[in-house]
Amino acid sequence: MSLTRTWASRLAIMASLALVPTYVAAQDAPVVIASSEDVISLDPHMLDSNNPTGSVIWSLFDSLVRRGPDGSPVPRLATAWERIDDVTWRFTLRQGVKFSNGEDFNAAAVVTNFARMDTAPFNSVQQLHDQTGLKEVKVIDDYTIDLITEKPTVNMLYWLAEAFIAAPGQISTVSPDEAATTPAGSGPYVLGEWKRGDQITLLANESYWGGAPAVKTVVFRAVPEVSSRLNELRAGTVDLVVGITPDASDQANSDVSDLVQIEGLRKMHMGISIKGEQPALADPKVRQALNHAVDVPTITATLLAGTTSPLLSIVNPPNNNPDLAAFAYDPEKAKALLAEAGFPDGFPLTIQWSTRFDGGKEVSEVVGSYLEAVGIQPTYEAVELAAFRASLGSASLKGIYFQGWAALINPSVELVILTCGHVDNSSGYCNPDYDKLVIEASQTLDDTARKSLEFQAQAIIWNDAPWLYLWRLPSFFGISKKLAYDFRADNYLEPYLITYK
Amino acid sequence: MIAFILKRFAQGLLVLIGVSFATFIVAHLSGDPVELMARENATLQDKQDLREFLGLDRPLGAQYLSFVTGALQGDLGYSFVQRAPVTDLIAERLPATLLLAAAGFLLALAIAIPLGILSALKHNTGWDIAITSVAMIGQAAPGFWIGLMLVVLFAVEWQLLPVSGSGTPAHLVLPALTLALQSSARLTRLVRASVLEVLSADYIRTARSKGLRERTVLFIHAFRGAMIPVVTMAGLELAELVSGAFITETIFAWPGVGRLAVNAVAQRDFPVIQGVVLLAAVFFVVINFLVDLLYVVIDPRVRLR
Repeated sequence: MSLTRTWASRLAIMASLALVPTYVAAQDAPVVIASSEDVISLDPHMLDSNNPTGSVIWSLFDSLVRRGPDGSPVPRLATAWERIDDVTWRFTLRQGVKFSNGEDFNAAAVVTNFARMDTAPFNSVQQLHDQTGLKEVKVIDDYTIDLITEKPTVNMLYWLAEAFIAAPGQISTVSPDEAATTPAGSGPYVLGEWKRGDQITLLANESYWGGAPAVKTVVFRAVPEVSSRLNELRAGTVDLVVGITPDASDQANSDVSDLVQIEGLRKMHMGISIKGEQPALADPKVRQALNHAVDVPTITATLLAGTTSPLLSIVNPPNNNPDLAAFAYDPEKAKALLAEAGFPDGFPLTIQWSTRFDGGKEVSEVVGSYLEAVGIQPTYEAVELAAFRASLGSASLKGIYFQGWAALINPSVELVILTCGHVDNSSGYCNPDYDKLVIEASQTLDDTARKSLEFQAQAIIWNDAPWLYLWRLPSFFGISKKLAYDFRADNYLEPYLITYK
Repeated sequence: MIAFILKRFAQGLLVLIGVSFATFIVAHLSGDPVELMARENATLQDKQDLREFLGLDRPLGAQYLSFVTGALQGDLGYSFVQRAPVTDLIAERLPATLLLAAAGFLLALAIAIPLGILSALKHNTGWDIAITSVAMIGQAAPGFWIGLMLVVLFAVEWQLLPVSGSGTPAHLVLPALTLALQSSARLTRLVRASVLEVLSADYIRTARSKGLRERTVLFIHAFRGAMIPVVTMAGLELAELVSGAFITETIFAWPGVGRLAVNAVAQRDFPVIQGVVLLAAVFFVVINFLVDLLYVVIDPRVRLR
């Protein structure tokens, strides 16, 4: 054979061999999920972000109760629960569950894990003890525990969702960096391999108590650049993309992928700093005037391409008070209210934003231009993230500030953040009547009575306007046409619920 | 020779101490890492507990001293955010960065040296103008634009190469090319200027008048003289590349040290910041030392002092 033909045939063989890997059955190919960052740590009590760290922790570990997509509690490691008195919740634990290192799940495991969550450095990240007032975990028998709180709380089930249970022997003896890299959980997946900064591979746990997941291998990749994530989705090398900005969202639609848009839970608003530099903001009429001065529907139609709608309450649906209406865009009424409050010529106002949320500068400038039209004189200020967070914590922002809050479905949590002196209350709003209603509601066990109290509280605070109400932040995801999955509004991904079409 | 090495070693050590001290001070001046690590509604007591846990409540002098003593033993501390030894975090990413740096550097030299020499030999002709213009565009174009354009062309339109990630030689092509195009733009013009200067030197005229072939004149005599400024610049380019090319690593999701460093700055992860900057300083010191040694090989007039 001539030399050319030898080389040609060799090349042909090599080329065809290169194609072989693509003929792997679709079901065995891993599902690849691209997010903007890598998992920070696999320590279940250091969970800092819902995705990807939260999604991976949720796949490797389990908690007693999980939040369903509509906020209702779903039994996981606890199969049943009841309140046996005002401050005591009794949980029946699931039997026959083993951790990935062979240890058994039982009441002692819960005690060890909850105790760890209450020590440094975990207690600055965990919320269970602070938010529920949990003070004691009593073991009744191997599969029954009592959680005892300082005061009655309706939020126990909500905060248990992120109280993950790791194998007690392992988690209490292992060094911090081993805890961060060698998880021993009881979830639907186990750790395959973690190349830090790059990607993490999870393998299905065939002996998972809830049944082995349909997707056998899941890879979470860190692809920081949003255009790279979308390009990979379109090229078919990535199956799920999280974190798509609104302007790039229609690139997720292609021959092999679809865009999915979810109405998000995070309530965007301009916080109004009542104890800041502008004393006019202490008058509710002034705050109402600010709300009437800004045309929020137009902003959502243009800046956000109609992907969301104005806020209707500080509580997310389905628990919002349906009788409340958004403040109508009425600059004349705004000017009248300002004059009534004693500011016919307006006043100077500082508008601040940080990098915490995208679009802070644009939104602040648009809001500022509407306020200018009713006589207010805005100055604009970008604040560095950590300084912004420090100011939030000490309620010391100057004027109004772009912020998003309480991305969850739990009315008692959503309401309590604006009680006097609450650590989340960055506006400095303080109304004892409101506080009374909120505290009473959080301890009312009867659902109908509690709902009526919550509606009353929502009505008071809506009209008092501690915020310049904006919108709920929409979430955009991209998904391959081969897969079926219902995305959650809280940005957690649950790979064990992904199925092939 | 020994005296030279010892002197450079001592100088290098001074540089490292100065750099590590400056980084320490600047990092601490940038603010409080606990604000970023603790959740947004953490109580003041929780934040103070976290500060104590991380050792941030000790006096600055004590913190710096413990960093230095650790560093001398090879322990760069624990990352605040990832709760992992800094040495491990850097060691995991260093091979990827070195691979990308080496590939980008060699590619840059392979482009810059021939083109630079060509444009010097044919200076003021069409070739020269074309090469110099392309080099100027390459120097002016931002790195992220070059990277994204390469992705759009090769990965999205023609589907020849992967969009991002690492693992196979195909993944290395676009990021290395992005780095190389920027580096070579600078180096091409330097090579050209350098060769032009050398070609008008007396010793070249002597070599020609001795009757040597033009090829010998060029590659044995002129090349060596022209390389000194190029070697200096190339050394600096290489040192910059091994410190991590953050923008390229971000666009191509390349798991290198650059992204680790910038994320650490954003999160105020002091131990990681100090570790990475110290590493970059070590690279600079070592590469400069090697460049100085290279001078002696290239140019017999240079003596180590």
